[in-house]
Amino acid sequence: MNQVDTSPNAIPNVNLRQVGKNKPRNDSPTKVYGKAIYAGDLIMDDMLFAKVLHSDRACADIKSIDVSVAKTLPGVHSVLTADDLPATNAVMTDMPGQVGGGTKNTKQPILAKERVRFYGEPIALVAAESYELAQRALDLIVVDYEDTEGVYDAFDAQKPDAPIVYGNDNIVAAYKVRKGDIEKGFQEADFVLENTYSSQYQEQAFLEPEAAVAWVDEHDILNIRSSTQVVEHFRAVADALGMPHNKVHLQAPYVGGGFGGKEVMTIEVWLALLAMDAQRPVKLKQTRENSFISHGPRHPFTITHKTGVTKDGKITAAKITLTSDAGAYAKLSPYILLYATVGATGPYRVDNLWIDSTSAATNNLPTCAYRGFGTMQATTACEAQMEELSKLIGLDSLEFRRKNFIQTGDPNATGQIIRSAVWSDQCATKAREALGDKPKSTEHTVYGHGLACYQQSYGRIRWMKDTSESWVGLEMDGTLIVRCAVTDIGAGQMSALAQIAGEVLGVPMEEITVYFGDGHVNPLAGTSTASRALYMTGKATELAAKNVRNNLFECMAEYFDVRPEELDLGDSKVFVQDNPERCMSVKDMAKHCAAQGVHRHSLEIYRAPPSEGLDPETGQGEVFPDFTYGAHAATVAVDTDTGEVTVIKSVGAHDVGQSINRQAVEGQIEGSALMGQGFALSEELILEKGVLKNGSFSEYLIPTSEDVPEIESIILESRSGLGPFGSKGIGEPVFSPVAASIVNAVADAIGTRIHHLPLTPEKVLTAINEEKTKEAAE
Amino acid sequence: MLPRFELSQPQTLPEALKALAGGVGQPLAGGTNLFPDLRGGREKGDTFISLSQVGELRYIEHTDNRVTLGSGATISDILRDPQMKIAAPALVAASDIFAGAMVRNAATIGGNVCCGSPSADSVPPLLTLGADVTLASASGERTLPLDEFYLDYKKTVMKPDELLASISWTPPTPGSAHLFYKLSRRKGDAITITGISVLVEAEGGKCKTVRIALGSVAPTIFRAHEAEGMLAGRVLTSELIEEAAQSAAGQCKPISDNRASAEYRLLTAHSLTRRLLRQAWKQAS
Amino acid sequence: MSSEKAVTLRVNGNEVNIITPAHRTLLEALRHEGFVEIKSGCEKGDCGACAVLLDGVPVDSCITLAWHAEGRDVTTIKGLGNSDSPDPLQKAFIETGGAQCGYCTPGMIIAAKALLNENPEPSLDDIKKALSGNLCRCTGYTKIFEAVQIAAEDLRKEGEAA
Ligand SMILES: Cc1cc2nc3c(=O)[nH]c(=O)nc-3n(C[C@H](O)[C@H](O)[C@H](O)COP(=O)(O)OP(=O)(O)OC[C@H]3O[C@@H](n4cnc5c(N)ncnc54)[C@H](O)[C@@H]3O)c2cc1C
Ligand code: FES
Ligand code: FES
Repeated sequence: MNQVDTSPNAIPNVNLRQVGKNKPRNDSPTKVYGKAIYAGDLIMDDMLFAKVLHSDRACADIKSIDVSVAKTLPGVHSVLTADDLPATNAVMTDMPGQVGGGTKNTKQPILAKERVRFYGEPIALVAAESYELAQRALDLIVVDYEDTEGVYDAFDAQKPDAPIVYGNDNIVAAYKVRKGDIEKGFQEADFVLENTYSSQYQEQAFLEPEAAVAWVDEHDILNIRSSTQVVEHFRAVADALGMPHNKVHLQAPYVGGGFGGKEVMTIEVWLALLAMDAQRPVKLKQTRENSFISHGPRHPFTITHKTGVTKDGKITAAKITLTSDAGAYAKLSPYILLYATVGATGPYRVDNLWIDSTSAATNNLPTCAYRGFGTMQATTACEAQMEELSKLIGLDSLEFRRKNFIQTGDPNATGQIIRSAVWSDQCATKAREALGDKPKSTEHTVYGHGLACYQQSYGRIRWMKDTSESWVGLEMDGTLIVRCAVTDIGAGQMSALAQIAGEVLGVPMEEITVYFGDGHVNPLAGTSTASRALYMTGKATELAAKNVRNNLFECMAEYFDVRPEELDLGDSKVFVQDNPERCMSVKDMAKHCAAQGVHRHSLEIYRAPPSEGLDPETGQGEVFPDFTYGAHAATVAVDTDTGEVTVIKSVGAHDVGQSINRQAVEGQIEGSALMGQGFALSEELILEKGVLKNGSFSEYLIPTSEDVPEIESIILESRSGLGPFGSKGIGEPVFSPVAASIVNAVADAIGTRIHHLPLTPEKVLTAINEEKTKEAAE
Repeated sequence: MLPRFELSQPQTLPEALKALAGGVGQPLAGGTNLFPDLRGGREKGDTFISLSQVGELRYIEHTDNRVTLGSGATISDILRDPQMKIAAPALVAASDIFAGAMVRNAATIGGNVCCGSPSADSVPPLLTLGADVTLASASGERTLPLDEFYLDYKKTVMKPDELLASISWTPPTPGSAHLFYKLSRRKGDAITITGISVLVEAEGGKCKTVRIALGSVAPTIFRAHEAEGMLAGRVLTSELIEEAAQSAAGQCKPISDNRASAEYRLLTAHSLTRRLLRQAWKQAS
Repeated sequence: MSSEKAVTLRVNGNEVNIITPAHRTLLEALRHEGFVEIKSGCEKGDCGACAVLLDGVPVDSCITLAWHAEGRDVTTIKGLGNSDSPDPLQKAFIETGGAQCGYCTPGMIIAAKALLNENPEPSLDDIKKALSGNLCRCTGYTKIFEAVQIAAEDLRKEGEAA
């Protein structure tokens, strides 16, 4: 059951005809008929097949790599090691896309040369007539390693005698926030509570493993068709190969899921090198096992909260430390740490605040972008602390949260004033109501309710000066074309643009064609990351469509002899608002305007609000364009004999600003409910001294159909966001509180809290038994 | 990508047995164990003898007082058989939560029994049914209790020229309870952490027959004979059940792996045996 | 070198001849022939992306040998219907938004089809059980369940009308 609420204080919108409705997405037919072509599906004449030799150890010197035998195998066309690469042998792993400034310029070797720093680090590339031959060639490559001492813990990595993995002290990034006076704040508190929470590695587990085909065309342009969230990697590929940017053409067809795992470059540069070397098309599809080591999983975080509260529930001070394990290379760790830092206090106002956050390098898998991007881990810890605080002072946990929620006009952790609506309270109230009564315990089963709120940014860090472009044009037959190089990674990115352009120009979305995923043919739109795709590309499309509309109205106003403001477009007609009988079909309008030489196309750019960064001493400044607020609530059943947790009900209530496609919003909430449940309960990469032990779908357990609880989506619309029609970003926000709500529900059920995730049956049973022993002793 | 191998595809049982007698080649049934293991390098083999065309192996037979499963019957075949709910309730329960639909359609009962995996889900229910296995080779057949089939981790009494032809048992008497519990880290399609089956038959207020089998908690799936001995012929009080469950747990030799620790397996072997015994006793008496 | 064999099978009603060694999976063989609507997510039976109907029975083509398809009928998602004559499941997946990234969709619909063939009135639990071998990371399965329920309803109505 799903509900919608547009509360009385919502800004009324013009009568929306398509936006906000439940529309079948226009990418659905090709997908359900089996016609959608993904990167690995492309078949080309004369194509070679590639395989990658990944390191099977986490920390070793490479004494030698012998590829001589592999090279002689008939049918093998290219065998590349670091020695064959441009001397720099480096590829950018920093914030991808069009960024105006402020990046960290992090790089990573394309292929390991003298040293491997993590399990899975690529060492050699092979292209051959078949995968089988390529594999045989890989098997013939002899790498002589000498294991060296590594470091596998983010705290150990910061000790003075730790082996150095990164820079000269293993510190990849650090931030601090100093605000108010925490000494004073703690003095004012009636209670002070300190707890440490930690969370695990999570794998994106998109269903389509990394795949791409690369070829050099007749114009000597290097083409790459890849499963990526970011077509603008073409620049990084070109830089890595020493080519001009305009000679590398990267396009993304439909992408079989990303969740952040296809944000930083994965396999594109390897294929580029092979295609250039072999001068034949080359395809690479990673196996699932290799996919686990081809992109960075979620950062494990250890977060300590020391919080002061008064007896009536006001937070007076917070001292928070956050530590994340960056793994062997920086990738996006600095940014993820920043998100976690901003998110550390959740959606609560804390005026006396002290935060120290550190990301340390280890010889573990390099960690990287993943839905929630640090905020999710911070939320999980913060919401556990909120629950524990309310328990301590004996206040209902929602009541306690209410006393501390940030309101519009309040500063958040970094002192950014929140300008959009903050409907944390409405969302939390509705989410909790939807749970209903808690079932009664039975012989082996206890039940619990859990709630979690959040503050999650949408849009990229402001000093990156993010932009997005889109082109909208009205064809002579009244159909519309949108050209926008957004990548469609499954959330309906492409379809939403059709809906937006259709809304503005009165054309049903079925009659709109969107060209996407190809930045050399379409205007660059930036990345499908950071819950920015709809916000930014949607805004650019809205602006472009409005330009076209204005041009058309100018011409049509003359025709109807009214002012342009008196016209409207809808149901494939232009009409006079006060007298809808006076109308013309969009098709005839297109012809009429064309005959008058009206400009029926427009290219627009949307620029996110910029800022100039944080004060390094106080951590104060404007980091993000805006934030989404909401809540998730869950009911769980816990088996007291085994510790098994069953999620019975899962409710997401979010102020999405304005839903563009209701069905797509629900889809995000439902998908998040399961992904967050996996994080809370079953998903965990197991690393032993950096070596991945469970890199397959039979050992790494994402939720199945049988794990699905009843899911309810409650969509609130404040229409106060920066996106098209007042929308806010939702892809990450609706995910961030899920795990926290389940973890809180388990704590409620068993009467004690487990501080390290995931809550495997084993940990839950241990906690239950410890609690029993404690009770018996008392 | 699978490693290269040769495959023969006999059409009849005698052909298959003849191929096996040649001494090269291992049986291949549904391949749901073999293929993942070959691909992952956990299993080697360059010659296989496919049993999937041997129609004589794929059947389910209910006669007067005996149920026989041809080794080629799939897990789905078991679920589709309407009489199986009575003939082997716990086997149906185990089949119901076995893998996903596609794997259930390919996976054979023979493969599940012969793979010797401690987490094979059909085996605890078959053990508590007191099932017999019939092994066939070119030189003849032999039948033995399934309870004597397993020697050690992935080791069975089967000789290289033998294959499992069928599994048979006498259905539990009406009113008896036959239960299975699969403990795993998620609800659907997961490898078992602890798998317990219990059969209890009551008569005149006493426990007439009781069998207990435990999976995933030792190198092989095994029957807890000692615990069974403590219960047979008696009224199953809570105390007695607790003692038996303790005894069963005492027989476990679990290992720690990515799914769970040895201690957790012990704890749950204990608590689940207790739970199933209680439930079965209540149901049967 | 392992021996190769000519295998003849029908894919979506059309005869396909392939010459292939014994260790080649049906997934590899058919994708090589251009049936790229069959997806692969794990190649070991864990995800269901590669599911096809083999003589009407859903199997994971990644753990089925091409040789075993000799003389048999394979149905892929394209064999179920197209925009001109969609299968009720395809229509329902469009209606509910059961496909997000779409990568699990071909296998998911194949598994759902097999369920409805066998059980025209599945309960929610029946649906969950029938799809537990098909992983989806995007949707949280809920809209997939809805789609299967809608399709079942449509098929029932169709049946009544006929
Ligand atoms: C995704 C997935 C999920 C799974 N889930 C489960 C689960 O929930 N529970 C579970 O128990 N198992 C599970 N399995 C494992 C597997 O499916 C079962 O063990 C299955 O029953 C094996 O049967 P098969 O016919 O596929 O055997 P195969 O793989 O063909 O053979 C397995 C072994 O048995 C031997 N063998 C097969 N038949 C005979 C015979 N008649 N005589 C002698 N030897 C024989 C083979 O030589 C081989 O060594 C799962 C597997 C996968 C891929
Ligand atoms: S690819 Fe066949 S089940 Fe995953
Ligand atoms: S829709 Fe993406 S995996 Fe199912």
